[in-house]
Amino acid sequence: MSMLSVRNLNKSFGGLQATTNLSFDVEPGEIVSVIGPNGAGKTTLFNLITGVYTPDSGSIELEGRSLVGMRPNQVVDAGIARTFQNLRLFTNLSVLDNVLIPQHHQLKVPWWQAVLRTPSYRKAEAHMHDVAMEKLAFFGPRLMSFRLHQPVYVLSYANRRRTEMARAMATGAKMLLLDEPSAGMNPKETAEITQIIRRMRDEGGYTILLVEHKMNLVGEISDRVVVLDYGQKIAEGSYKDVVNDEKVLEAYLGKRADDDASEEVEL
Amino acid sequence: MAAITTTAGRRAIPWGWIFGLGIPALVLARIYYLVNVVEVRDYAFFIGAMVQSLQLGSLYALIALGYTMVYGIIRLINFAHGEVFMVGAFISYFLFSGAPFALPWALLWSAVLAWGVAFILNLWRGSMTHPTVIAGGLVAFAALTFLLSTFQVNWVAALLLSMLFTGVLGVVIDRVAYRPLRGAPRISLLITAIAVSFLLQNTGLIVFTRNQTPFRPETDWTAFLQFDVLGGTVYTSRLMFLIPILTAVLVTALTLFVTRTRLGKAMRASAQDAETAQMMGINVNRVIATTFLLGSMLAAAGGFLWGLNFGSLNQPAVMGILPGIKAFAAAVIGGIGSLPGAVIGGLLLGFLENFMTALFPRQGDFPGLTEFKDTFAFALLIVVLLVRPSGIVGEDLSEKV
Amino acid sequence: MSDSRTRLRNVMLTLGVGAIVAVLLALVEGNGGAKLNDTLALFAIWGIAALSLNLVNGTTGILSLGHHGFMLIGGYVTSLLIVPADVRERIASQARSDMTPFTLSLSVENAFNAVGLQALTTPETLWVRFLVALLVGGFVAMIFGLIVGIPSLRLKGDYLAIVTFGFGEIIRLSASTSLFSPFTNGALGFAGVPNDFGKSIWWTFAILGLTLFVMTKIKFSSFGRALQGIREDEIAAEAMGVNLARSKVLAFAISAFFAGIAGGLWVSYLSAARLDFFLFFLTFFFLVAISVGGTGSYTGVLMGVAVVVFVQQYGDPLEKTYGLPVWFGVIGSLILIAAAGGWLYRKTRRMRPVLHPLVVVLGLIGLGTLLFAIFGQNSPALDGTFQAFGMRRILLAVLLIVIMAFRPEGIMSRAEFSWAWALRERKDQPSDEERAQDAWLSNPDLNRGSATSSEDPLPASLTAEDAPNAVPFLERGTKPDPDEPRYGEGRDWQPEQDDEEEGR
Repeated sequence: MSMLSVRNLNKSFGGLQATTNLSFDVEPGEIVSVIGPNGAGKTTLFNLITGVYTPDSGSIELEGRSLVGMRPNQVVDAGIARTFQNLRLFTNLSVLDNVLIPQHHQLKVPWWQAVLRTPSYRKAEAHMHDVAMEKLAFFGPRLMSFRLHQPVYVLSYANRRRTEMARAMATGAKMLLLDEPSAGMNPKETAEITQIIRRMRDEGGYTILLVEHKMNLVGEISDRVVVLDYGQKIAEGSYKDVVNDEKVLEAYLGKRADDDASEEVEL
Repeated sequence: MAAITTTAGRRAIPWGWIFGLGIPALVLARIYYLVNVVEVRDYAFFIGAMVQSLQLGSLYALIALGYTMVYGIIRLINFAHGEVFMVGAFISYFLFSGAPFALPWALLWSAVLAWGVAFILNLWRGSMTHPTVIAGGLVAFAALTFLLSTFQVNWVAALLLSMLFTGVLGVVIDRVAYRPLRGAPRISLLITAIAVSFLLQNTGLIVFTRNQTPFRPETDWTAFLQFDVLGGTVYTSRLMFLIPILTAVLVTALTLFVTRTRLGKAMRASAQDAETAQMMGINVNRVIATTFLLGSMLAAAGGFLWGLNFGSLNQPAVMGILPGIKAFAAAVIGGIGSLPGAVIGGLLLGFLENFMTALFPRQGDFPGLTEFKDTFAFALLIVVLLVRPSGIVGEDLSEKV
Repeated sequence: MSDSRTRLRNVMLTLGVGAIVAVLLALVEGNGGAKLNDTLALFAIWGIAALSLNLVNGTTGILSLGHHGFMLIGGYVTSLLIVPADVRERIASQARSDMTPFTLSLSVENAFNAVGLQALTTPETLWVRFLVALLVGGFVAMIFGLIVGIPSLRLKGDYLAIVTFGFGEIIRLSASTSLFSPFTNGALGFAGVPNDFGKSIWWTFAILGLTLFVMTKIKFSSFGRALQGIREDEIAAEAMGVNLARSKVLAFAISAFFAGIAGGLWVSYLSAARLDFFLFFLTFFFLVAISVGGTGSYTGVLMGVAVVVFVQQYGDPLEKTYGLPVWFGVIGSLILIAAAGGWLYRKTRRMRPVLHPLVVVLGLIGLGTLLFAIFGQNSPALDGTFQAFGMRRILLAVLLIVIMAFRPEGIMSRAEFSWAWALRERKDQPSDEERAQDAWLSNPDLNRGSATSSEDPLPASLTAEDAPNAVPFLERGTKPDPDEPRYGEGRDWQPEQDDEEEGR
């Protein structure tokens, strides 16, 4: 059974059709990239999967379980966590707190035990701390030790991105949706994040669906690539096949002028 | 190729039609029941209630316009607007009651009012130091000093001067309290607005009065009026003409200002996107000041008419808050940020409030709904915010992810 | 120092301070006089209410303006359950009272009698009954808190604030209607509520301590972190699995419970329950306390409450009757100070002209008023006296406006008092390893790699020698992010923060 299966997904905002009959699958342990020009509906797709929007029609299933109609937090319970394109960290809280909050939904101890600091709560808290350190360790020493207790607003942009990825992992999800994980990073940092995404799959066992604009990142790590344009899937396959696809080139670069010489290209 | 389609999609439930026709139908049925079945009311009573509703609704509309304009531009629920309305009412009271002012007081009043005149001219001319502005201010100062120290002010002058004074107050509040918080979180701004409201209430208690104040300017407009209709007599006053007409005039003037003048266009641009408007060369601070000026002037007119309508002013600490909150509810019902919405919402609230008590009178053991009149406005506000926060004509602004 | 030893030290220090406070309270109770006693009790009661408001307002980031409603419920329920029998008889004989024999029979005493706990109905055991009444009041308020919390599932920000205000006012307005007057005795209210508790600094401070304990424990628990996550970014919190509905409603309910307790103590402090004891000014005072002390910081809130209570209790000279010359003098001086402040402001900000016409005009008016007050004392215009009722509230309102304009995060911001902070214990000294890492990160040579390089970007060993041109470590942690806008600084229009305040 595939990990995530999206079938005939439709969503429109007013008159704007954001996704049209979109279908694709993600197998367990895969890294799948969703690419497409700006406004192609990539982020909308993420919002649909994570329950921010409700689809007009179609189905989204995680291991055979429908996600349609769930609140975002229920989707996290089901096993999908995400990062945001324009960082949504808990800015005034520390790095550690940022990675502890996503574990709250798994806490079985009621709040009044937390007030009394009962042994079971202490144990749960220690466990949450361990998980947080484990997830932060994915990024080497960057977010550890003294940065752990720094508020997020003093971090660099790249470190914020890393914190957000660690935060998504800490939810305990099986599948991660990464929305432009390398946005705003320099080539060095991009190369590093590429390795980390791969390690997240290999060592962490996560299935990863990512939206990305940097093609070298996509080409390096993707098992499969899904190309969207105007809300429709125009190609799917390995990176090499997809980038040579006529339709994809057209979507990114426009129609070739020699296809129809009589038509002037309007600017 | 374009992804924009105009398909209707699923058929939406026509709530507009259901409410627009259903509620009046229910009201008519209830009136028929009260008049012809249990015979506790006659039709004339409901005509009278209609007239009252129109008056009250106009007043709410006047206040609601101030809320809606300010919210449209700086996204602030101006909690202090009800208090501005209260100040407007009391200022007009102090202007028309009592003899001509002693010279020091006349000088003080004229100074404030002349500054208001200069400020308005400055909006037109673009600078406080423009010769026209300075000359206008000085002329206004001299004329007003003479006027206030020599003549007893009649109600029209009291209304206009009170509007001017209150407009100045609105601008000062914006300059002193709200402008330092531009760009701050909206909640900080709201807390400041609450503080300003509290400040004005308690200052009103010191400066104006601590008691209920009779409000009876010398005018024929408050004279009683009665006419026979549908086999009964409607008791009302000439205010049934004055209040709606004056409101209509003011609203028309405001609409013309907002749609026809450069400053009005700048105002609408700022309401769309203040940041971009500023980049396009609009002085957003001046636009905001103008908004406060106009909103406060309308509130002052509302305050004066409120006094006429009820014949007295409540004590300052409680006078502003309830009409203010109700007018805010009206603005939300109509769709906050929209001028026609505020008028529609105000009239609608006036009708709802009056007919709620008129349709459910005291009957036997049932005590009637009169004591729930104020609760009703709050409940309505909550329900509207929960069910349809965009109001009747407003647009929905939900967060982008 | 090891972790457990630090904890032991902190507990000992806290207990020590608690003991000192207890000794001081005992001294006050013996020799401090009634006024000081009342002030301390008032501080504790309002402290409880402000702390509970801060759970919603500061920790969860929901501006709630309906707290006076919760206090009203707690206060009236407590009164109904505790008012002594003679007061009940008097109410029963009142013609204007709507109370029925059934509602008059609702009391803890009757309940104890009914279940056979006659031992607890003696005058000596009044405290048991009072505690029970207080708890019941808290629980009833909690139920209303649940109801008021429900709109928070759909609304945000300023709209939600208005809705909570509406709820608070609905509670107050409907308490006097025929629907509820059998329970609240309508506009007459209750008199003769025993004041042995609300005026006792022992009871009030014990409950305040308990509230502070619960609130801080919540803040530093997993639940509290989730609430703070909601404050920081609601959408992100939900996307990270936080159940918004449950968390917010629970926060409202806990907050309302403690507000109800505070309400019960408040009626006991006043010996009576009347509707005008529960006006919006209570919520406003707590709002001032929270804003002054620091939104989200419980120790800061207590400082804020101290300020508010001080103004309220010792600000009465402001509201005495003074002759007009005094008033003119004060007003003239204030205007002069304002003008001087304007001049100073323009000078320090290097604004031109320094002598703005408005400053000059204000200065002249102020000087004129002051001179008139000094030399015109015999003039008939200054013949008379004036009393400024409400000056204390004006002062608090001005304080709030000034705080919001200049330091909207309050004195303590979100930080809490901690012993580590008080003892200047620094934990942020970086280790050698951290220095090396920092040096490596700031080495420009390392940032020139190609994007497609597949080598491990992290070097195997990190030493400080790797990076000769490293940035010194000193400003670490204190350096604000240049991208982060600071609130309240701009004098010109600044765009709204971003869309995070936009939704509702």
